[in-house]
Amino acid sequence: MRQFKTMAYPYVVWICLLIVAPMLLILMYAFTTKGNSVTTIQFTFSNFAKFFSDPIFLDVLKRSLIIAVATTIICIILGYPAAYIIANSEGRKKYMLIMLVTIPTWINMLVRTYAWMGMLQDDGLINTILGFLGIGPIKMIHTGFAVILGMVYNFIPFMILQIYTSLTKMDKSLLEAASDLGANKVQAFLRVTLPLSLPGVISGITLVFLPAVSSFFIPKLLGGGQYVLIGNVIENQFLTSGDWNFGSAISLIMAVIIMISMYVTKKLDKGEEMMGGGGK
Amino acid sequence: MKKFISLLAVCAVSVVSLAGCGGSQGSTSSSVDAVEKYGSDTLKLYNWGEYLGEDVISNFEEQFGVDVIVEYFDSNEMMYTKLLSGDSYDVLVPSDYMIERLIKEDRLQKLDLSLIPNMEYLADGVKNLAFDPNNEYSVPYFWGTVGIVYNHNNVPKEVVEEQGYSVLKNTDYKGRIYMYDSERDSFMVALKALGYSMNTENEDEINEAYNWLVELNNTMDPVYVTDEVIDNMAGGAMDMAVVYSGDAAYILSENEDMSYSMPAEGTNIWVDSMVIPKNAENPKLAHEFINYILSYDASYDNSSTVGYASTNKEVLADMSGEGGEYEGNEAYLPRENYEKDEVFNDNEVLRQMLSELWIKVKASQ
Repeated sequence: MRQFKTMAYPYVVWICLLIVAPMLLILMYAFTTKGNSVTTIQFTFSNFAKFFSDPIFLDVLKRSLIIAVATTIICIILGYPAAYIIANSEGRKKYMLIMLVTIPTWINMLVRTYAWMGMLQDDGLINTILGFLGIGPIKMIHTGFAVILGMVYNFIPFMILQIYTSLTKMDKSLLEAASDLGANKVQAFLRVTLPLSLPGVISGITLVFLPAVSSFFIPKLLGGGQYVLIGNVIENQFLTSGDWNFGSAISLIMAVIIMISMYVTKKLDKGEEMMGGGGK
Repeated sequence: MKKFISLLAVCAVSVVSLAGCGGSQGSTSSSVDAVEKYGSDTLKLYNWGEYLGEDVISNFEEQFGVDVIVEYFDSNEMMYTKLLSGDSYDVLVPSDYMIERLIKEDRLQKLDLSLIPNMEYLADGVKNLAFDPNNEYSVPYFWGTVGIVYNHNNVPKEVVEEQGYSVLKNTDYKGRIYMYDSERDSFMVALKALGYSMNTENEDEINEAYNWLVELNNTMDPVYVTDEVIDNMAGGAMDMAVVYSGDAAYILSENEDMSYSMPAEGTNIWVDSMVIPKNAENPKLAHEFINYILSYDASYDNSSTVGYASTNKEVLADMSGEGGEYEGNEAYLPRENYEKDEVFNDNEVLRQMLSELWIKVKASQ
């Protein structure tokens, strides 16, 4: 085994170069100012103070969290039944359904979001069909609805695939045992299937919540610049304002929030495993 | 080892094909000559999106036996950030105030005007402007104004002329307007609407303009766009939009319902010019390109496709004159000698305040 260990070195170098080094840079930028003509950089907390003292930025943060939570919940509500149906279908049909979920992810997200832009337009596909049915044009593009729709659409495959995996890993004989012991289908689902699939739901939550809370091009394209989320503020600091220090500070704040939420979901995961009684 | 080599080959092929994507065909004939003459056969151009005539680049490549790699930006600030992060380009096309800043920060090369004989065709309106008094660093590419394009069937002409920029806050048109997603242009609109200079350094005036824009954001539900405005307004998507004159000229030529107004409160006369940054790898070819863009054919192609006013005086006269492509188009020719119109200067107070305030305007709700 020992000789294989050396094979990890390229990976370690890779990680250091592409993940650790940029993180350290962000850390450095976040706690410094551009400085003046005398000193080049200065240590400071002012970037953080600037963020937390401004109600507008806090509003943006709140809005981002709300949209991300809403996206995650909708993904669970829609994704769970889908995963359940896929896991319980047989042979060809199962592979077809899996393909249907994964094929869209082969296409670039930006392109798919542009497609939604076309469909949600006031004179777009959906409104044309609605108009045909005699229902007046509904304003969809540049609303919160469009932003959440775009996010759910883009991120739901992650949720479905996670839940699907944990459902297929489940031992079917447990369900037979449950019905032997007199549980009806609903009881068997609630007492056996659901708890055993929760680890999948929880890793699905992480995979959906993280990109949703930091997404910037979906609100930009589908929200028409009116739905400024935290990702847009960060993008703006780097690309337009050129204030890398403030941008890094916001990124760091987001990183901390994300780490906390990951810690909490992990705790949940562990707690559930104990309650589930070691089904694995 | 064999595998490794074939992997290398795959990498090499993909690099070559990537380079092929950026440039284009037509460099077969004389690329060796180009290397001899200019030191390299690749030109890196960093230009605005939707800013080139259909055949301008391919003709240049064919004529001089070189490859042109074009990258696009949609704001001066974005271009500046990219330049600062160390990317090297041979020709940039920033606007007036950004050129002033780049000159101040010593990031541009002085031009060798003997290599740009087509300077003699430069239109009078864009010669020797304040940001580069003797055209030592920059050669104008396009110029124009900023104004309001409106659908005259839905918004009467009298209303637009009478209310000026304030028509953008007229709640009759709530949810029916596009704002340009650029801090400079939006603050220009607000400052002019309030009767201030758009080059103000007075923080109270800037804050007043900020509140004007926040109020607009909260009462009018505007959509912030950049180049999408061109196709969307040509398709009649909204009633009003703040646009650059060239985009307006194109929109007007595509859609008869649209009109253009340069408000009486004054507007921004802007000039986008070609410059060569200090870190350019191929300045000789860059001079050749600048000279080429100023030529009648290239400038005509650019102006005719994109709709902005040419900086070649002969093209300008032919386009707007009798039988010209933009004859009678109220957006094509920039307004000259109107006292309330201004050119942007680079001033640090305004620059820093705007970049902080603009995202807050859009984020307020």
